[in-house]
Amino acid sequence: MAKEMMLSGCASSAQAAKMAKVEVISSYPIRPYTAIMMELSKMVANGELDAEFVHGEGEHGQLSIVLGAAAAGARALTGSSGVGVTYAFENYSPIAGGRIPLQMMIADRALDPPGDFGSEHTDAMSCRDQGWLMGWAETPQEAFDNCLINYRVGEDHRVLLPQFVCQDGYFVSHIPGPVSLPEQSQVDEFLPPYNLPHPLDPKRPVSHGPQIRPDQGTIMDIQRAQAMLDAPAVIREAIDDYNRIFGRKYAPFVEEYMTDDAEIAFFLMGAHTMTARHAVRHLRAKGVKIGLVKLRFVRPWPTEEVAQALSKFKAVGVVETSTSYGGAMRGGNLLHEVRASLYELPQRPLTTSFMAGLGGEMVSLEDFYHMTEVLSKAVREGKTKKTVYWVGFEAED
Amino acid sequence: MASKVHQVTVWARGVVQDKEGRDIANGLARAAGQEGKFTQSFDNYVDLPDRVNVPLRKYARISDEEIEERYEYENLHPEVVIVADATIVKGIDVLRGMEKGGTLVVATDRRPEDILKFIPNRDLLGKIVCVDAKAICGDRTVDFSGSEGGVDSVGIGQGISAPILGALARGSELVKLDHLDAVVKNKDALHKGHEQAVVKTLN
Repeated sequence: MAKEMMLSGCASSAQAAKMAKVEVISSYPIRPYTAIMMELSKMVANGELDAEFVHGEGEHGQLSIVLGAAAAGARALTGSSGVGVTYAFENYSPIAGGRIPLQMMIADRALDPPGDFGSEHTDAMSCRDQGWLMGWAETPQEAFDNCLINYRVGEDHRVLLPQFVCQDGYFVSHIPGPVSLPEQSQVDEFLPPYNLPHPLDPKRPVSHGPQIRPDQGTIMDIQRAQAMLDAPAVIREAIDDYNRIFGRKYAPFVEEYMTDDAEIAFFLMGAHTMTARHAVRHLRAKGVKIGLVKLRFVRPWPTEEVAQALSKFKAVGVVETSTSYGGAMRGGNLLHEVRASLYELPQRPLTTSFMAGLGGEMVSLEDFYHMTEVLSKAVREGKTKKTVYWVGFEAED
Repeated sequence: MASKVHQVTVWARGVVQDKEGRDIANGLARAAGQEGKFTQSFDNYVDLPDRVNVPLRKYARISDEEIEERYEYENLHPEVVIVADATIVKGIDVLRGMEKGGTLVVATDRRPEDILKFIPNRDLLGKIVCVDAKAICGDRTVDFSGSEGGVDSVGIGQGISAPILGALARGSELVKLDHLDAVVKNKDALHKGHEQAVVKTLN
């Protein structure tokens, strides 16, 4: 029987790692992800979890420790937040390029300056192109589920990629929500033991990460790119199995809410999707033809699914929770990829981005109502005035 | 629109009362959940990590329908404020954001009239409840688990949170003693808090 508990995203993530039977954990403290390690260290100390718990001297060390452990054949876990994520940056490409499928849990946090501990997706999003799977959780339950799903996909020999398993700091990581903890037997059925094809082993020597000649580089890049191209089919399989074994209803890449006959829609990921869903429901009750599309994986980016989901709308508001200073859309990151996904379509919806939830700012129902007005006006006028609206900071829309 | 979300704010002292403060919020939410209410309880993120004796806030929310804006930092309009250490009322406007007719619960060995002297905006209050929580179950720091998004590993209501929750049930309709009885560990202290609470109705 599944066990229902009220858990924070940090606590549910630690429970998931325990049920995934992680073997090596590497920590270094930074809010808000710290509680994941706090909970795991308690489990190791209590004998609930048989894992090596190694405290790094910083995030760079943390990632180096799990790289070694996972390369030697141990299921490995680490995590961080904010500037901790960026401090470890050097390690992300070697881990992905070395095809070491370890997992890093990120409870996101705004980058400095100043020292802001609120949620923002920019820390993890800054690392998105290194060849790691990446996606955000909306709830502590989804944080739990994403840990197991990502280990399964990343460790699959058709993929072999590390995973950034992200959740909005504080909102998801600290506010407890209902979590259904499955039986260990269900997890064991879903997630086979870690089995790296060529682990480091003194009895069977292999080389990992050697120096190569420049002419050998591209083939490794192609293989890393191919792994991302192969990942979607594996994600589909994993989600099907997950839904069947655990009784969930996840879509692999994009989840739609009230999109039937919708003319306008929000496109977003992570915590604020929850509030957006309530806003959409209230707006529907008032006769506004609005829906919502939630993104579950940023990497691999589901180009066809995004195009298909968004093609039916007249206008789409991409709610950005990260920054791309000086980028083509003058705001966040997601709109770049949304527009690129729509480019080949004969009929494209109007698109714009709403900068919201930055620096940990809340995104309220009222904020979503305001965004709806901007989108409705765009439909009426047949154009969007701007590619970026800073929600709550615009003199007039 | 959704039905009203009843907000309860708990004030406690950092570290030494961190778990007791959180136990009050968690105990209230869990007890209200037992009667089918939608609830949430959470620590004030900005007050953490806490420092010894520095005031900190914990929140509970109770509603007849699903709580739609779960991802917020504070209770901006508490209708019940609980103060686990009475000296906090001297330096902080604990009733900030309260609408007229709210309830204040204070753990103190003083009478309601004496506490009210320290509350400049006491006109907001419809009721004040005082309970000498320390006299009922002593004053000790039970545990440090559960802080900063962690899991409580020893259970709710072993310290002063138990009599304070009892006093709350005496002075507020938000939660029933029977439901608290099912979630609070020190049931004796819970019931003594309920019996010994001094309730004064104002305005």
